[in-house]
Amino acid sequence: MSGTAEDRDLLAAEYVLGTLDARASAAVEAALATDPALAASVAAWTNRLAPLTRLAPPEAPPPDLWDRIEARLPGAARPAPRRSWFWQGWAIGASLAAAVFAGLAFIPRAEKPAYMTVLVSDRAAPAWIAQADRTGGITLAAVRPAFGEPQSATPDGRVMQLWGLRPGETAPTSLALLPRTPGRISIPAPALRPVNNMLIEISLEPEGGSPTGRPTGPILFYGRLIEAPPN
Amino acid sequence: MSEQADLAGLLASVATGDRNALKAVYARQSTRLFGIAMAILRDRAAASDVLQDAFLKVWQRAGQFDPTRGPAEAWLGQIVRNTALDAARARGREVLTDDPSLGDGAFEPSVLDDLAEAEDGARLRDCLARLDAKPREGILLAFVHGLSHPEVAERLATPLGTVKSWIRRGLLTLRECLS
Repeated sequence: MSGTAEDRDLLAAEYVLGTLDARASAAVEAALATDPALAASVAAWTNRLAPLTRLAPPEAPPPDLWDRIEARLPGAARPAPRRSWFWQGWAIGASLAAAVFAGLAFIPRAEKPAYMTVLVSDRAAPAWIAQADRTGGITLAAVRPAFGEPQSATPDGRVMQLWGLRPGETAPTSLALLPRTPGRISIPAPALRPVNNMLIEISLEPEGGSPTGRPTGPILFYGRLIEAPPN
Repeated sequence: MSEQADLAGLLASVATGDRNALKAVYARQSTRLFGIAMAILRDRAAASDVLQDAFLKVWQRAGQFDPTRGPAEAWLGQIVRNTALDAARARGREVLTDDPSLGDGAFEPSVLDDLAEAEDGARLRDCLARLDAKPREGILLAFVHGLSHPEVAERLATPLGTVKSWIRRGLLTLRECLS
C-alpha cells in the first residue's frame, strides 16, 4: 500500500464502505496484518460507519444455522491451542506483497485454471495458492515468505489435511493429507469436484489425518474458490 | 453500553477457545448480523453460508479484537459485511439494481431517524444530512446493500466517474463532520 496518508485513509474508507473491487479489497485485507497505520484507519472507519448497519432490518437466521457452525468448529470442547508460536517466523518482517509475488512465480503458467483462491491464515496472511483445473484436479502452491521460515511448515507429530465444502453443504469432505515438505502439491482427482464458491480449508490433524472424517484441529488456512479471471 | 462490555467479555472468552461463549455471541447477535448479510445478498441460503463463514472467522480472530479500538458490535458487523461483500463479488454481484426491496428513495432523511436511537447514530445522521441527497444515497446503497460503484451509478442514473467522486467527497465530509 503506497500513496499519501490521505489516499491511504480514503482507501481504508472505501474498503470499509465495500466499494473496492475484489483485488483491491483483498490487497487491503492482506496488508492489515503488517500495516498498523492502515489497520488503525480501517478501525476508525468501521466505527464511524457502524451505526449504518441499523438500516438493515434484523432477520432471524434458519434455526439449524448454529448447529452448522458448531459442526465446523475444530475438535471437542477443549481450549484451542495457542497458535502464535506457529506464526512467529512469519510475522517478523515478512512482506506480504513479496510473499504473494513469490507464490505466484512458483506456479507454472502452462495451464489456465478454472477456479482459484488464495488460502489465508486467521491473520489474513496468504499462505497457499489453490487452483482447480478444468478436469477437476486441484493444485496447491505454498507461498514463500520473503523472510523467515515458510509458515506452511507442519509441526512434528501432526499433519495438515485439506478439505472442501461446497455451497449449501453442512460438512466438509477430506480431499488430501498434505506432505510434510511444503511446496507444490497436485491432487489430480479429489473426492469432491471443485465448483465455484467452494470453501477450501486446511486443518491441523493428528498423524494419519482426522479420526472422525471432519476437521478436529484448528483451521489454519481457508479460502473460497472463485472463477479464474480470463487471460 | 453494558451490552458492548458483555460482548467484549464474550469475545475474550472465545479467544481462549470457549465454544459456549461463541454460542452466546451467536444468540445475542445472529438476528442483527443475518439482517446485515441479507441486506447485501437478499438470498437466505447465501446469507446463511456467509454467517457460517463469519462465525468461523470470529472463532479464529477473537484474539485480535481490541475493545480499546471500538465497540464489539462494530467489529462483528464488519466481519459479516466483509464476508458478504466477498460472496457478492464472487457471484459477480448479480444484484438487480431495480430490485424493489432497495426501495425508491429508501434513504430519505426520515428513514435515517432509525439511526438516531443511539448517540453515535444521531451524530452520523446529522453529518449525513449535510450531504446532497444523491451522494448520501450512493454511500448508503454501497454500505447497506453492498452495491458497487457501477451499480450505484446505474441506480442513480449518474455517470460512473461522478459517482466515484461523490462517494469520495462524501466520505471526507463525514470524516470531518464526525471528528
